Amino acid sequence: MKENRIRILYIDDEVHNLNAFKASFRRSYEIYTANSAQEGKQLLKSIDVHIIIADQKMPVSTGVEFFNEIKDTLPDPMRILLTGYTDVEDIIDAINKGHIFSYIKKPWDEHELHRTIQNAYEIYATRKQLKEKIVELEKINDELNRFIYSTSHDLRSPLMSVLGIINLSRLDNSVTDPNGYLNMIEVCIQKLDGFIQKIIEYYRNSRLDVEYEKINFDHLLNECISQFKHQNTAIEFQVTVDQPVDFKGDTFRISVILNNLISNAVKYQKPDEVHPKVNMAVKVEPHKATLLISDNGIGILSEHLNNIFKMFFRSKNNNKPGSGIGLYIVKEALNKIGGTINVESKYGEGTQFEISIPNRNDFDS
Amino acid sequence: MISIPDLRVILIDDNEVDLLLHEKLIAIQQISRTVLAFNNANKALEFLSSNITLPRIPPTVILLDIQMPEMDGFDFLEAFDSYPARIKSQCHVIMVSSSLDYSDISRTYANPMVVKLLKKPLLAKELTAAVTEIFRDFS
Repeated sequence: MKENRIRILYIDDEVHNLNAFKASFRRSYEIYTANSAQEGKQLLKSIDVHIIIADQKMPVSTGVEFFNEIKDTLPDPMRILLTGYTDVEDIIDAINKGHIFSYIKKPWDEHELHRTIQNAYEIYATRKQLKEKIVELEKINDELNRFIYSTSHDLRSPLMSVLGIINLSRLDNSVTDPNGYLNMIEVCIQKLDGFIQKIIEYYRNSRLDVEYEKINFDHLLNECISQFKHQNTAIEFQVTVDQPVDFKGDTFRISVILNNLISNAVKYQKPDEVHPKVNMAVKVEPHKATLLISDNGIGILSEHLNNIFKMFFRSKNNNKPGSGIGLYIVKEALNKIGGTINVESKYGEGTQFEISIPNRNDFDS
Repeated sequence: MISIPDLRVILIDDNEVDLLLHEKLIAIQQISRTVLAFNNANKALEFLSSNITLPRIPPTVILLDIQMPEMDGFDFLEAFDSYPARIKSQCHVIMVSSSLDYSDISRTYANPMVVKLLKKPLLAKELTAAVTEIFRDFS
């Protein structure tokens, strides 16, 4: 059995038709014949065919009945019905019941049948490829999930041990470190960990299902601020929340967005600024929430504004540590929940991000 | 310092460095004099089995890691759940993990045997606070 040839099973109760078919097509295809539906079924148990052609008018069981019977156990082969009668009822019946690819009139036109077989095989091959691709994609997906899981554990676990050792050395004062090397190690480890966490955040955003729940912005913003406050205690945070109606949205993604933007606002402050400020204003309306996050930090060069949402883009005008992935994650998370973002910035004066997120609260019901 | 006289701590973690770290932290914070470290959850279960016949089971805090080869933290909890109530009631499980995995975290919170989840690196303050909280009503 050659693998690259099209295998066809032809079922017809008239033996001379079987012979004629063989004579016309045996050079092009690998042909199996049967003179009853019963014999056809028997043959299909041992041979894997691509196309099945069956005559409609056969004693015991008709072509349509035969196709209908095998379609659940053998869904893959393409089915072609052959009949001498152009009975519309038959055709409709065949197409609806037996999932038939095509219908050919007897006596068949050799070219037409040839073309039909070719077309049927093309669809067969495409479907098969698609199935293989799906299996392959599912496997890759699964591997990616496991990769994320082990990244979050296997990479972080030794880092956390190192941080634990540093903490311990401070508690028991067992290490003399006049040059502050331990602090430097700690800063490096935290930077690396921050990067690992960003990667995990990115994958979780792209893979986790969107889930809507009630969000209290006052609570959410203060939670975010408490995470970053200690990084620069001079900053004055101002939060204004105008939430007269309930807001429903994806908590994970919205907090990812806020965390990244607030983290940036805290990080990119001018070192000589006397009154560093981060202002946050939220306005909730029945159909959307608008969030403004502004700072009086170093600002973004206008020629960089178009690039800040690109993956791994980092502005050259600052020497702050960054992974270049934060704003990319913000953009991706907004895409997931149907939100938009705008940025305005004056270099040396500050930056303002305006976010709009749809409110998934169903007011109409 | 925690003043439960016969309090003991069982550490279960496949990471030897973390076992040592946690042991030192417990000593520095004077949480307990008795620390039993197991680098494999099965060995800890065996040890706990051998305790069943003791006339009195001392109050026990178990610091349990989540990801471990062979038997992980959740497997341990499942096996330990079948132990007699008189030993289970004396054991208080604190999960300790560096995991950021959402399902790990929610599974931990959902487990009735887990008192608390602490993130690695374990901080002296947090550990003491968690243990104090457990025995708040006892002393």
